[in-house]
Amino acid sequence: MPIIICVDDEKSILNSLQMELVSALGDEYLIETAEGGFEALELFEKLLEDNYEIPLIISDCMMPDMPGDELLKYIHTISPKTFKIMLADQTNTDAIVNALNHADLYRYIPKPWDSGELILTVYEAIKSYFKDQLLEEQNEALKEMNTTLQERSETLVQTLDNLKATQQELIHSEKMITLGQLIAGVAHELNTPLAAIRSSVENILNFLKALEQLPPFFQMLCSEHQQDFFALLKKSIQQTPLSSKEKRQLRRTLVRQLNEHAIEDATTVADTLVDMGIYEIEAFLPLLTDSKSETILEKAYQLAGLQKSAQTITFASERAAKVVFALKSFARYDQTGKKTPSNLIEGIETVLTLYHNQLKGGVELIKNYTELPQVMCYPDELNQVWTNLVHNALQAMSNKGTLQIDVALQDNQILISFTDSGPGIPDEIKSKIFEPFFTTKPAGEGSGLGLDIVKKIIEKHNGRIKVDSIPGKTTFTVSIPVNPNEETCHV
Amino acid sequence: MSKPVILCVDDEAVVLDSLKIQLKQEFGDTYFYEFAESADEALEIIDELHEEEVEVFVIVSDWLMPGMKGDELLIRVHEKFPNIIKVMLTGQADDDAIERAHHKAHLHRCLHKPWDGKELIETIKSGLATL
Repeated sequence: MPIIICVDDEKSILNSLQMELVSALGDEYLIETAEGGFEALELFEKLLEDNYEIPLIISDCMMPDMPGDELLKYIHTISPKTFKIMLADQTNTDAIVNALNHADLYRYIPKPWDSGELILTVYEAIKSYFKDQLLEEQNEALKEMNTTLQERSETLVQTLDNLKATQQELIHSEKMITLGQLIAGVAHELNTPLAAIRSSVENILNFLKALEQLPPFFQMLCSEHQQDFFALLKKSIQQTPLSSKEKRQLRRTLVRQLNEHAIEDATTVADTLVDMGIYEIEAFLPLLTDSKSETILEKAYQLAGLQKSAQTITFASERAAKVVFALKSFARYDQTGKKTPSNLIEGIETVLTLYHNQLKGGVELIKNYTELPQVMCYPDELNQVWTNLVHNALQAMSNKGTLQIDVALQDNQILISFTDSGPGIPDEIKSKIFEPFFTTKPAGEGSGLGLDIVKKIIEKHNGRIKVDSIPGKTTFTVSIPVNPNEETCHV
Repeated sequence: MSKPVILCVDDEAVVLDSLKIQLKQEFGDTYFYEFAESADEALEIIDELHEEEVEVFVIVSDWLMPGMKGDELLIRVHEKFPNIIKVMLTGQADDDAIERAHHKAHLHRCLHKPWDGKELIETIKSGLATL
């Protein structure tokens, strides 16, 4: 039961105060009394210690051991919530002011008090006390709730950060999966130039082994023939690449011409001449009709072969370098998180270089490019977009058909579309293809994240992707704004 | 009488050039060398040579080419000319394709790119020895 403490040095006053209170509140409150300041303090502290609730203290003002205002001041320091009422007369102004200022005095009641007024004041004080207490409890609960909310929101922020990091990892790992699929093709792409380099080097080494044959050979040639010989070599170096069919046709023509000049073994000679890039023989008839023409032609072929081998090595290493460059720019993982100026066509070409091998198997590639300005973007992430779209297109048409890539610039938007001649996307799944984990591939073959990631990457560039599909013609169109100022509005 | 022919098929001109140099260096004028950049072209050449009564001894073919693949080419060749020695030279070993070529085209051997010149010559020689 809550306790109300009454303090007065005059026993009779104290008693009547107590009686009035008991009769008004006796059912709900204990009414304790003290006959002086010190006794009141002692009682108060003891009750506090025993965890009693003390909503109200009513103290006389003039007491011999301690004035009421001082008592209340002290009470206020140990129990600020307890309401304080002082019994005082008009002469105690200083005490009242002191209690108002320092003890948060609730009311003062002039002596002799009016019973009704006293009880009313006491009721109001008690009501206020419990109202305050309720408020405080609610406040406390609110604070607690707030803390919980804050903790939760911190957890959410943390979770979001984790999700973002995971997404970034997924994008990266999806890229690595694609890269893995590409490796076989790329290996082949490197094998061809390597094979060419290897055989060219063998050829050069073989020639060097027979180097000592050269001086006697040149001594054997008369000066006129030497001139013709070098003219032949010079002509050979300038040869333009021809298809195997063209070469066969030229060879036939040469065979006819050689026969007309009664040159022996016309087929072999014509073949050697075509290999050397010699398609007109008039100027070289003196050499070809010489009695040592076979040796002359053989040496010319060997020397021209040296040149050709060197050209092959140059060409092949350039090609290998191109593939390696494409691989490098594809595998690059930009950790700075900053956009860099880049030409989108270069990215598309990088991807096409890596897919060259798959493409040549039976895909006709049509490119309609327009020149593009540099765009602020994440080039390696966009490469992933192109890779995914090319990969899907090839898969959709089982590596056979037509892949058309259109690049256009329209109203400050770059439009890049990939059109394949595959069977098309059924209407019932068209709306789902951009959803995460949607896949038409058997379990374990595709993560189903490809197009979802594509979409996210494009959205990161404030762009959009759409698909139009009818049987025989499926087009994925990516639009990306040119203007870098439009960035930062999306998150 | 024309010399017998060794026919090489690859869509990469640079590979054909290399093959020609290696073959000519080893076999010189003993054979004649023909080159095709696709399977269709190879079939055309074989037919032409057949009409001209020139014999094809060996065919060396790439596997991954635009259009018809190497295994199919060799199978087709085998159906018409079972005696031609068939060699596959590939950068991408598709096991099924090689298996098919072994079964249906009596594939002599499969070499892998980048190939070793000596190995190529040995392969062709060992093939020719079975004729």
